[in-house]
Amino acid sequence: MHRTALSARNLLMRKILDALYLGSAWLAALFMIGVLVMVLLSIFGRLLQFYVPGTDAYAGYAMAGAGFLALAHTLKSGEHIRVTLIIGKLTGSARRGLELWSLSVAVLLAALLAVYSWRLAWQSHQFHDISTAADATPLWIPQILMGVGTTVLLIAFVDEWVLELRQRRHHDAGSTRHE
Amino acid sequence: QTKWDLPAAYPATNFHSVNLATFASDVAKATDGKLAITVHPGASLFKAPEIKRAVQGGQAQAGEILLAAYQNEWQMFGADGLPFLATGYDDAMKLYKAQKPILEKKLGEQGMQLLYTVPWPPQGIYSKKAVTSAADLKGSKWRAYSPATSRIAELVGAQPVTVQAAELSQALATGAVEANMTSGATGVDSKLYEHLKFYYDVQAWLPKNAVIVNKRAFDALDKATQDAVLKAAADAETRGWAASQKVNTDTLAVLKANGMAVEPPSATLKADMMKVGDTMLKEWLEKAGPEGQAMLDGYKK
Amino acid sequence: MSEFVVTTLLIVSLFALLGSGVWIGLTLAGVAWIGMELFSPRPAGDAMAITIWGSASSWTLTALPLFVWMGEILFRTKLSESMFKGLAPWVNALPGRLLHTNILGCTIFAAVSGSSAATCATIGKMSIPELSKRGYPADKIVGSLGGASTLGLLIPPSIIMIVYGVAAEVSIAKLFMAGVVPGLLLGALFSGYIMVWALFNPSQVPLSDTRLTLAQKLVESRHLIPVVLLIGGVIGTIYTGIATATEAAAVGVVGALVLSAAQGSLTWATFRDSLLGATRLYCMIALILSGAAFLTLAMGYIGLPRHLAEYVTGLNLSPVVLIIALALFYMLLGCFLDGISMIVLTMGVILPTVSAAGIDLIWFGVFVVIVVEMAQITPPVGFNLFVLQGMTKREITWIAKVTIPYFFLMVLALALLWWFPQIATWLPGRM
Ligand code: NA
Ligand code: NA
Repeated sequence: MHRTALSARNLLMRKILDALYLGSAWLAALFMIGVLVMVLLSIFGRLLQFYVPGTDAYAGYAMAGAGFLALAHTLKSGEHIRVTLIIGKLTGSARRGLELWSLSVAVLLAALLAVYSWRLAWQSHQFHDISTAADATPLWIPQILMGVGTTVLLIAFVDEWVLELRQRRHHDAGSTRHE
Repeated sequence: QTKWDLPAAYPATNFHSVNLATFASDVAKATDGKLAITVHPGASLFKAPEIKRAVQGGQAQAGEILLAAYQNEWQMFGADGLPFLATGYDDAMKLYKAQKPILEKKLGEQGMQLLYTVPWPPQGIYSKKAVTSAADLKGSKWRAYSPATSRIAELVGAQPVTVQAAELSQALATGAVEANMTSGATGVDSKLYEHLKFYYDVQAWLPKNAVIVNKRAFDALDKATQDAVLKAAADAETRGWAASQKVNTDTLAVLKANGMAVEPPSATLKADMMKVGDTMLKEWLEKAGPEGQAMLDGYKK
Repeated sequence: MSEFVVTTLLIVSLFALLGSGVWIGLTLAGVAWIGMELFSPRPAGDAMAITIWGSASSWTLTALPLFVWMGEILFRTKLSESMFKGLAPWVNALPGRLLHTNILGCTIFAAVSGSSAATCATIGKMSIPELSKRGYPADKIVGSLGGASTLGLLIPPSIIMIVYGVAAEVSIAKLFMAGVVPGLLLGALFSGYIMVWALFNPSQVPLSDTRLTLAQKLVESRHLIPVVLLIGGVIGTIYTGIATATEAAAVGVVGALVLSAAQGSLTWATFRDSLLGATRLYCMIALILSGAAFLTLAMGYIGLPRHLAEYVTGLNLSPVVLIIALALFYMLLGCFLDGISMIVLTMGVILPTVSAAGIDLIWFGVFVVIVVEMAQITPPVGFNLFVLQGMTKREITWIAKVTIPYFFLMVLALALLWWFPQIATWLPGRM
């Protein structure tokens, strides 16, 4: 009874986390379309003689959104690359040890990224840092995308770390084919 | 020994960067190397839009910024980017004197201090076709790279076009851009004469680069070193204003030598542009409020 | 702290983190963090965030995700298949046969895209599956792709040339012209290498299916019409001023979607897969670019590349020795930094010496771009290697190994450029 409650909770947690990664990836995909739309706007603006100020800046923010928000999903799909020359040759506890080490380093660095990304947005707000281009966007607004994306990445790395510890992690994540 | 990093956005050979290098070596000499300033030109440490906040946040102790670029943040930063308010170096100096106390106060509130400013040479109109009045600019593809340049385009009926500096050369070659407003110096740097044949020396405005320092970093210096920095800055300012005038004369000659027609504006064009300037000044004053009016009164006095 | 100790420590930490399987983008950020905390008086965190935000939201980069997306769309159409059908009769006579499509494809696509990562991702997405399906050896497919896709930098338009042109204050239009002949020369060298290899290893090249008459070849070429329309359309928008070189990527995406719809392969599923696939591939590159941007910043603070460059220029070398020394210097730097960083961090120091030695700055621009191309395929930090690893899921060491011949062909190109400077200077001189 206790066990099933635990596994039901785990299952729910799993579902929530996976939805978080996928949802944020879909948001990233929408921003990818945003890049396209912004660049097309500036092309058509020139052709049809209308002017939308700041399309170049908006394309840049959308690109940042596409990159940061997809981080966790890309990790979970095993598409962030790494060198698995050594890890791939190891088995058993040696492999687990090295996986835990590299995941710990990743958790630490992702945490630093997330913390300082939020600090960037917060400081931009404090400093009234406003885009110097024609868009005049207060920069803390698009910078939130960086904070959210790196935070979801941090969650995904912690998730991986816990799965590795419980020996439930799929080892194909980020590994490469061997000859 | 104290070490400062000073990011700057323009290439090492640009006269602003050359002046900065001299400033840094003057400081090193005057302080017997106690304060070493490393100048990072060509956006090699931080890119242009990042430099102000890098100084503000203490990631760099000092930096060089284009004041007018920060008009979105605070209207007064853009006072030297108002077209036809101050044309020529004497007026620009007068404007600087009226602007300086307000600038110093604002930068002080933001945890920074102004060291010195040096103007870019006066901004003129580059065009593919001859322009005798504002009407000739109607419909021509005008590069808008700042709020002011896009507003000018709207007022003269030109088509504002967003093209980044990096792609300007190709955009000019293909006709995606037909007119641009910048200084003779920038025109030479980006080789505008390869594609545009007319330059009208309307002397619209003289935007200033400012060298700013983080207040905490400055206060951490001993009194003698602070004085040495201020003295070197004052020298750099004098040197820079003179260099800017020389660059202006030299680069206009280079434009001519490369086959451009370098001409003063016709009376009509000048009158048309003054009208644009009046409109933009009015709009600016609405946004800048009493602070702007006070500065303007100081300048006109 | 001596430069030697700093360098050693950073390289050791780079190899330790990479070797223990830390993700590459994070490794670069980690090394940058270590470098800044240990060897510079500045705290790392805030500076890191400013720089990563600046690079991730920089307008100049927007062509990259769009070209990646274009590749993902085309990959899901019959375009690559029909392109190979159309090209096959023509290249079948050459030793190495369809392998030349990699070189040809990259050379042509280089005229559309200004970056080598985009060239590699777009062409690779189409050619890797097609060539593998036909039984070509994997090492030759990946190697020729890694080598030839660096041409994206040399054949105009080119982002790196713009960066150099601004730093050196030389005409970007002339630089673009100067890159054309060396770019074609490199393409010819790459193809030549494949032919020589194929002549010695005929058994490794799959046989061609049929022999065709000229008339039949021309008929088969109808399969090339869609790709010619697409590439021609994109190049056309650049040279008629409809789109800038960066915006052309958006034209490419729209063109690919139209093509896909015309062929009947545009469904919600293929659209969704191409969009998500592109977002992930771009995201993988973006994480590495972020780490690289932070590493560049750390190097700017620590001053290592600048001090090395000062050392080289302080030696008072004769022009030929100077050029050799600079080539070696950039090859070394290129192992650890990406191309744009190399230029930004060193040009202020290098350029005065180079022009004082009487070296033509347009020529030197071509020289620098070729050296930067080499940096794209040298480990441990080489962007084309990363893109190829992302697409093929093979070890980076294997990818680096199979691209080595192309590295040496670029060394050869540098030597030819020295002996015959007209390769670079002739065309711009005619402007
Ligand atoms: Na190119
Ligand atoms: Na490399």
